[in-house]
Amino acid sequence: MSKKIFDPNIVAFTCNWCSYGGADLAGISRIQYPTSAKVIRLMCSGRVDPVMVLEAFKNGADGVIVSGCHIGDCHYSTGNYRTQVRFQALQTALESIGMDPQRLRLLWASASEGQQWAEAITEMTEQIKKLGPSPISGRGKK
Amino acid sequence: MAELGRIGVFVCHCGLNIAGTVDCPAVANYAGYLPGVAYSTDLLFACSDDGQVAIQRAITDHSLDGVVVASCTPRTHEPVFRKCVEEAGLNRYLYDQVNLREHVSWCHMNEPEKATRKAMALIAMSVQRVKQLEPLVRQRVNIIPKVAVIGGGVAGISASLDLANAGFNTYLIERRPTIGGQMALLDKVFPQSDCAICILGPIMSQVGQHPRINLMTYSEVDNVDGYVGNFRLKIRQKSRYIDTMKCTGCGECEDACPVEVPSEYEFGLANRTAIYRPFPQAVPNKYTIEKKGHATCRITCPAHVNIQGFVQLLHDGKFTEALNLYRDVSPFPGVLGRVCTSPCEDKCERGKYDAPVSIRNLHRFLADKEIEQGAEPVAILPLDKEDKVAIIGAGPAGIACAHDLIRSGYPVTIFEAKEAAGGLLRYGIPEFRLPRDIIDLEIKRVENLGVEFKMGKRIESLDELKEMGYKAVFIGTGAPFSIRLRIEGEDASGVFHALDFLDRVNSGKNVTIGDKVAIIGGGNAAIDAARTALRLGAKQVSIVYRRSRQEMPALAHEIDEAEREGVKILFLTQPISVKEEQGIVKGIKCIQMRLGDIDSSGRRRPVPVPDSEFTIKLDNIIIAIGQEVKPTGPLWELEHTEWGTLSVDSRTMQSSKPGVFAGGAVVLGGGGTVIEAVAHGKTAADSIARHLQGIDLLKARDDTLSPIPYVDVDIARLGQNMRPAMPTLGKSKRLRSFAEVELGLSEKAAVEEAGRCLSCGVCSECLQCLTVCEPNAIDHSLGDKISEIQVGAIVVTTGFKIYDPIETREYGFGTFDNVVTSAQFERFTNAAGPTKGKIKRPSDHEIPKSVAFIQCVGSRDRRVDADYCCYIGCENSLKQATQIKEKYPETEVTIYAMDIRTHGLGYESLYHRAREMGVIIVKGRPSEVEEIPGSKSLKVLAEDLYTGERLETTHELVVLATAILPHDDMKDFARKFKLSTGEYGYLLEAHPKLRPVDAFQDGVFLAGACLGPMDIPKAVAYGKAAAAGAQSLLTPGQFQIEPMFAEIDTELCMDCDLCGEICPYNAVVGERDERKVLSELCQGCGTCAGGCPMNAIDIHHYKREQIMPVIEAAAKVKGGVET
Repeated sequence: MSKKIFDPNIVAFTCNWCSYGGADLAGISRIQYPTSAKVIRLMCSGRVDPVMVLEAFKNGADGVIVSGCHIGDCHYSTGNYRTQVRFQALQTALESIGMDPQRLRLLWASASEGQQWAEAITEMTEQIKKLGPSPISGRGKK
Repeated sequence: MAELGRIGVFVCHCGLNIAGTVDCPAVANYAGYLPGVAYSTDLLFACSDDGQVAIQRAITDHSLDGVVVASCTPRTHEPVFRKCVEEAGLNRYLYDQVNLREHVSWCHMNEPEKATRKAMALIAMSVQRVKQLEPLVRQRVNIIPKVAVIGGGVAGISASLDLANAGFNTYLIERRPTIGGQMALLDKVFPQSDCAICILGPIMSQVGQHPRINLMTYSEVDNVDGYVGNFRLKIRQKSRYIDTMKCTGCGECEDACPVEVPSEYEFGLANRTAIYRPFPQAVPNKYTIEKKGHATCRITCPAHVNIQGFVQLLHDGKFTEALNLYRDVSPFPGVLGRVCTSPCEDKCERGKYDAPVSIRNLHRFLADKEIEQGAEPVAILPLDKEDKVAIIGAGPAGIACAHDLIRSGYPVTIFEAKEAAGGLLRYGIPEFRLPRDIIDLEIKRVENLGVEFKMGKRIESLDELKEMGYKAVFIGTGAPFSIRLRIEGEDASGVFHALDFLDRVNSGKNVTIGDKVAIIGGGNAAIDAARTALRLGAKQVSIVYRRSRQEMPALAHEIDEAEREGVKILFLTQPISVKEEQGIVKGIKCIQMRLGDIDSSGRRRPVPVPDSEFTIKLDNIIIAIGQEVKPTGPLWELEHTEWGTLSVDSRTMQSSKPGVFAGGAVVLGGGGTVIEAVAHGKTAADSIARHLQGIDLLKARDDTLSPIPYVDVDIARLGQNMRPAMPTLGKSKRLRSFAEVELGLSEKAAVEEAGRCLSCGVCSECLQCLTVCEPNAIDHSLGDKISEIQVGAIVVTTGFKIYDPIETREYGFGTFDNVVTSAQFERFTNAAGPTKGKIKRPSDHEIPKSVAFIQCVGSRDRRVDADYCCYIGCENSLKQATQIKEKYPETEVTIYAMDIRTHGLGYESLYHRAREMGVIIVKGRPSEVEEIPGSKSLKVLAEDLYTGERLETTHELVVLATAILPHDDMKDFARKFKLSTGEYGYLLEAHPKLRPVDAFQDGVFLAGACLGPMDIPKAVAYGKAAAAGAQSLLTPGQFQIEPMFAEIDTELCMDCDLCGEICPYNAVVGERDERKVLSELCQGCGTCAGGCPMNAIDIHHYKREQIMPVIEAAAKVKGGVET
């Protein structure tokens, strides 16, 4: 009936303390943003094993966000430093297998940054719309 | 473990909060078809009693083994539903929550269909998770029944007293030397106009005396470890340099202290001393010395003269004490007051602003003043040591060495080859720069202390001294040989070398000189020789220097004086040969130079300009290109550097032979300075004492001075005034004699100049306080005390900062004398303040006839990211306005405000009271304040928003109601305590409505203005609420901690220790089969599991197999619908 519009699907890993709270604040403040992101709450962004990001892409996610406390503000002191290091390695890995590294984003958002959270999801959604569906999802073929 | 297969899904409407956007029945229906789901339904309010009963009934009726509630954020409701399922017999961890409200309905309000599909996707993800969950058991930990309250303002005081009265031992940690916070500085408190200190003082002393309160003032938390019930805090108790057990608070020390710095308790309206008590009601009632470190001037001085100390004593009129402090380091206040190169002045902090303090001229003043008044006679010091020390050479290095040794009780003899002592001071520096009687007087003083001088005695070998029974030797024989120019004709008659020339003139020998004289060189000796030649009658004196003025090593003011006296300087000129006739000098042939590349000395290398030779006709040439050391006498026996100077260890001044030390020009060569020579002598004296006592020469040697981390100078509040010019002898008088050219500062100029010192180190260690403290409570060597305390809960009450408009100069603050802040005004009305309770305008101390209050300065202001109300500004200004009216009914008072906010009981009546007293309120924010030239009164430009009229009203005093801000270091503090900060930088509570005093971090409570602006009753209420929160945590004695800790499967582990490296809590211990995680230390972040290459470490409740299916479910969602 209607023509098919590409609606990106984003898997978003957040820590419990900062970013999940930031996403909560976006809702409490009634800031509107796209429905694309599906949040998986972990205790710390440091829990995100690079394999988990690959698992998301493997299963067809169009984009992945890893989000934690700002550097220096980690609830567990240093967990997000690890996240940062792993993220850089992951981007290189994605590039080497032909996946656009822009499909993976690292976002530092505190519990008081609802606006930043909503803006980041909006931007990422727009960006992935430009990139098109994930080459793995099988939706890329017309 | 088998998957859970009978899951119940409950979709909450939350009234219309969720159901207004998401089609809840459809979502529940969808969930019912998901594999593993045995039951699903939608509920109006899942968290209501009805809702919870429905969930519990379904668990029983449908034999559910896992539960998903899709409602609001788990950050607030997870504990509610966990308890709900637990009561129905399920393990509380077989539960997962989907956030449909904050993450779906509220943020996708305009896309109901998509929102509904997203809700379905999130529930599908959650069901995948619940299938894999395992039952877990919470551990019980004992709670330490003690509390730490951080911050001793009124909120912290209230919390501490409630906790202590309830029987909990409480540590109250305050970073200032007293508790009381901002309230203690207020005069009256609104709305009832109680006297602030009268109501606060009694509870402050209750805190001081309470047996269950351990008051730790002047203390900060360095580090926080542990978790709820078991926190460990490392406390740094900063040294007050006072034994508080002995201090009686008498205040004698305060009168003796010469230092003045702006008082933080008077908001810049008055000064305090370095040893101080914040205010009379301080608790504890003890003094504190503020030390920031040693001032840069003192650290820069090679001999480390206590410059700030003597300068401030001078400023206080304590000239004798100042001179004694100087002499404690160097015996040459007058000599160095004339010839020191003053490296201290180059580094003086004041120099960064206008001009450095004239340090050299100040100690010269002290020396001159002593001569003028007549010095106290010096008594011979008693000698308590037997080992004799010999010093070769009576120059500044040797005398400084002797000065220190004799004061340490050693018998010292100085051997000097010449007939008079002083070395280069006497023979190298002309009298018009350094009068002989100054040298004589200062050396005589050292001799009077008991140092033996043997003049005309040349020492030829070290053995000679050994035979005479000397146990240690210091060599300070200087660099007495002039460097030769090595050009043709250098030995002709009429050519002098500077040292010989000056020596002959200075020792009174007859030196004849012709009309035309040229000096070769650019150092101080060249300038001295030129000016001496003029005084000997030369008509035309030139200095020939091969580089430009910039590179000239002589002191700038000496060069200026020489030129003023008529000396011509030929820059960029190099002599090639001396023109002579029959062995008598007739002139000099020179070549022009230009500056080329930079050489090893960092200066641009002069290069000859081809074909630019020229000849100058001369009667005399004085070569002053430097001095050198030649290995003569005992120097033969020691090792040398390639430049002929003695090799010494620069830290100890010990030569190649143990027990033989050296310093001054014999080590430095010709380029050294007198103050460096003094420093060498002193270092060597210390080494000699160590050598003779068998103490390691290097032990604990360099750590005596500590630089100031940052110099906190309030530049904006500094008045600009330049250093005084040195009065000098008129030119005509100069050339007829060798009279001293520089005449010295007058007493008035010197005292004023000393007042320009910025007191960088605050306490200068002049030690005047020691002399007046009867109970001997002061000890300048005390250090900070670090202690560790263990507590079960923490209450944070660190307060706020008052906005200081000095940087922005808002409304002319800091520029116009009569613009003050409301905090400053509070000090005017306070009887303990600088005006003793009288309202006086700062410019002329007159009572103002018209006062304006400007509201919201820095508040409700988007430009400074503080667009929030300060909460207290309106009431405070109304209170202050009524205080003016009470004291001076004739004074007109106007309040300029966008609007007046008086909330709650009692505050509106304050407003009415002010209005009835005649206070005028203008609605509108003033645009500008202008000072009226001449009168210092102020014109306030504003628009009255009610009438639309533009106002230009003159007031005699303007008070700015300034904003309330979070502390500058709030973020660092928050990190230390793992707390969050909100948009404006205040600490963030767990929930703004229902958990206003809880932090996200369990066991930490927040109260007072660290949460945001508050008035006193609110801060007290918060303090008491936080105390109650802490009590309800502590009272049961035990606490259940979440069982989310990591565990290692040693079968899989390859022992790489990455987990151990990653863990922020050092919870991973052991190796190989013994490797394990200490669950009591593990905080459950899971960063180890995220990094383990073997998947050998995992974290309960967030296991790999519990997360991966959720990811798969999330990733497979397409266009918002699961495939």
